[in-house]
Amino acid sequence: MSNQDQCQSDSRRKFLAAGIGVISGVISVGVGGVVLTSIGAPAVTNKREGKWVEAGSAADLKPGEFNQLSISYDAKDGWLEAKIKQLVYVKVTGDDILALSATCSHLGCNVGYDEKTGGFKCPCHSGIYDATGKNISGPPPRPLDRLDAKIEDGKLKINTATKEE
Amino acid sequence: MFARISEAIDSRFNINESFKKNVLDHPVPPRVNFTFCFGGITFLLYVLLLVTGIGLLFFYVPSVDHAFTTVEYITFDLPAGNFVRAIHHWSANLMIVFIFFHMLRVFVYGAYKNPREFSWITGVLLFGIVLAFGFTGYLLPWDQKAYWATRVGVLMPGSVPVIGGFITKFLMGGDNIGALTLSRFFALHVAVLPIITAVFLVGHFLMIRKLGVAKPL
Repeated sequence: MSNQDQCQSDSRRKFLAAGIGVISGVISVGVGGVVLTSIGAPAVTNKREGKWVEAGSAADLKPGEFNQLSISYDAKDGWLEAKIKQLVYVKVTGDDILALSATCSHLGCNVGYDEKTGGFKCPCHSGIYDATGKNISGPPPRPLDRLDAKIEDGKLKINTATKEE
Repeated sequence: MFARISEAIDSRFNINESFKKNVLDHPVPPRVNFTFCFGGITFLLYVLLLVTGIGLLFFYVPSVDHAFTTVEYITFDLPAGNFVRAIHHWSANLMIVFIFFHMLRVFVYGAYKNPREFSWITGVLLFGIVLAFGFTGYLLPWDQKAYWATRVGVLMPGSVPVIGGFITKFLMGGDNIGALTLSRFFALHVAVLPIITAVFLVGHFLMIRKLGVAKPL
């Protein structure tokens, strides 16, 4: 084999090796990308949407103090039509309705009403909130979420979307 | 940084050179042609099926209540879900086609003869496993086509003398096609068959490395 042939053969080999690399890369990135897109998509698309949920008769609420209510509503959970349950605390003072989500802002446990202080305490890591839902001690980084609430035709209605504080 | 990491690995394990020697510069007989690629294409399709199959596993639920619902979800709601399912579907179909071409090539070239008999035998077993993949996978969407195709399929071995009835009941997991049939087909499809396939593939590949590709005519 002359030098020139050797040189030609070398560059042909390099070209073929690069071609194999490019084709393998395209297939891997293409298929991997498609599969990872579908696996990752629910993180963005599978949202819990806020809706108005009836939470019983307004006459049953004790005025001026927190009422613990469990609301449940139908929501899409991926491929399932699921019943979502949510615990809320509602206090009606005159025309003013304070509805707090019971979900602790730390790691999502349900907080309990503390009769002694009139505030809330999380059983998981002893996060303490005051009667307005403000975090006053322990690990919670922000207050309890406030929910929109209204009374219509004597029924209490709560919106499951959390308001940004 | 990437170059330094790859250099550190390469200086210890010498991957680049052995890749060059064993893959890129691996000697093959003169005058091999594209028909020698059919086995490799079949393997590529198997890898595609593994990857997309794992993707589908994130969403598919093998229960009679939810199987069809989850397949519908994958097909119509999940972003790129239909694409993943389509790749799985078409790779499965093409795999049978390419196995046929691969076997045809080996047969015409007489490449199954001594010393490559065991390559042929493992190959035929692999072909059977792939057909089992197709049969079990066909049931999983749990629609009418899946149900009735499986019904025909499981009743066929019923004509085997003596043990035929038992084979049918074993496949169905009882007297009818239902919850147990779906879950056992699922287990076969995603766990048992892939592992058996991998074992036979390793054997199939080691033999071809050891003996080399049969010389063209």
